[in-house]
Amino acid sequence: MTGSVQAFLAVMKTVVASRLAYRGDVFFSLFVTLLGEAILPMITLLIYKSGASFPGWSLEEAMLVQAVFMLAKGIAYPFFYGMVYNTLDRVREGSFDVLLLKPRSALFMTLVTGFSIDGLGRLVGGAALFIFALSGLPMPSAAEWLGFLLLMCLSACVLFASALFMSGMLFRWVGSSRVYEMNDAATSFGRYPLSIYSKPLQFVLSSVVPVAMISYFPAATLLGRSTPGLYGAAAASVIFLAAGLLFWHYMLRTYTSAGG
Amino acid sequence: MAASILRALQVMQAVAFVTFKEWAAYRSHMLATLFVGPVFFLVQLSIWNAVFDTQGTIGGMDLAGMIAYYGIVTVINYAVFDFADWNFQMLIRTGKFLTFLLRPLSHRYFALSQKVGHRTLGFALEFIPVYLIFWLIFGIKLIPASVAWTALSLILSFLMVFLINYCVGMTAFWLTNTGGVRSIFLIMRDLCAGVFVPLTFFPEWVQHIMFYLPFQFMTYVPVRVFLGDYELAGHTMTIPQIVGLQAIAVIAMWAISELIWRLGIKRFTGVGA
Repeated sequence: MTGSVQAFLAVMKTVVASRLAYRGDVFFSLFVTLLGEAILPMITLLIYKSGASFPGWSLEEAMLVQAVFMLAKGIAYPFFYGMVYNTLDRVREGSFDVLLLKPRSALFMTLVTGFSIDGLGRLVGGAALFIFALSGLPMPSAAEWLGFLLLMCLSACVLFASALFMSGMLFRWVGSSRVYEMNDAATSFGRYPLSIYSKPLQFVLSSVVPVAMISYFPAATLLGRSTPGLYGAAAASVIFLAAGLLFWHYMLRTYTSAGG
Repeated sequence: MAASILRALQVMQAVAFVTFKEWAAYRSHMLATLFVGPVFFLVQLSIWNAVFDTQGTIGGMDLAGMIAYYGIVTVINYAVFDFADWNFQMLIRTGKFLTFLLRPLSHRYFALSQKVGHRTLGFALEFIPVYLIFWLIFGIKLIPASVAWTALSLILSFLMVFLINYCVGMTAFWLTNTGGVRSIFLIMRDLCAGVFVPLTFFPEWVQHIMFYLPFQFMTYVPVRVFLGDYELAGHTMTIPQIVGLQAIAVIAMWAISELIWRLGIKRFTGVGA
């Protein structure tokens, strides 16, 4: 375990150092990500400015859901989603075999070598929006903060599972960058309060593919709102992660080297 | 004159056919749209159904109008989608652009012909299936107010998207790696084109700026032509008027692309040249 952490830290250090060799590009990338992520809160603001709203949600509360979504993705991109690029590139080039020869598990190597600081703009933007939204709301209690942090761990589980599904698909669907779009589409439900969806869709988003765990349940817990379906969603998140791990390992077994 | 037009059309047909065949090899890549498009649309449908529960009209649109707007935006984008900007900067960065200067054909025309081939495949694998999904699953019949004006506006939009992206790609003459510029531009372009939200949602002063930018002719104008009326920043126009304006904008954009080409090509130094 200690060795794994040390390996992860060593790779992180190398990645940060190599990316900072192009500081301008890093800051530009951060700015672009921030700009892209600002679109949705801006649209939400336009909706509320026009006098309409998401029923039962104030502007600050809706913004908080979106801020938590950005924070969750801000964590997922550097730590999990890099493995998707990694798999995409390495399988296409035939260099994935190199990871299989390393004295660590293939999943660990794919995850670690995929670490990337690009996309940190989401974390920065999410944090800024989070502070803005919270500033207009009553301060949550210590229990609500604790609940929020626990649910953020489950949120990370869901996003890690989605990275596993994307990465796993790329062993067979070689070089298709559209897995990102498919993931973005599927997770985009998580950017809004669960209550805006129809009842059947709410069930699917909380108990089948627990997208609602990415941001809705953590944000609602922080707001002290009642969260029916939370336990089902928590169980679904753990099952989703287990399914992701099984899927990734199954797909790895179907991987046929390019012979490189 | 007629012979040269015929020759140009033959060239376009040949390039488009090759591009069509090339991309048909990656049809599963394109078919991902059948998941992405309807899922994004379902999110929009849910959002606007909820939002319109609290208010009858927003930004001058009612619920049916808003759903039609997003449906049309989705399918129109499959018809006019373009990555000429990425392609051009890649050719400059890798030095491959040099070979195009040796060919007896304008690169802009070649790239446009490629787009025709790529979008012909997109029409079959993206536009029509997603249109049918909207109709048969979501129950949204997207019938244009006037088929002829909508078709004309779509062709102009097709050209406008290409010319704007091509101009952005040509910034590679100066920057070589245009990744950053392209990323910012794409976000601003889609925002100003009305992809994310109808332009009438923006404050009046922002609408005035957007009215004078070329981006509305990419998405917002063809969508409004499809719907049968046009209004932005307090300007209302008949369909023939706005389509005429769109045609003038396309010609102006072509002239700008020509100017950028002439300035940029002087700076081009190919790898190994």
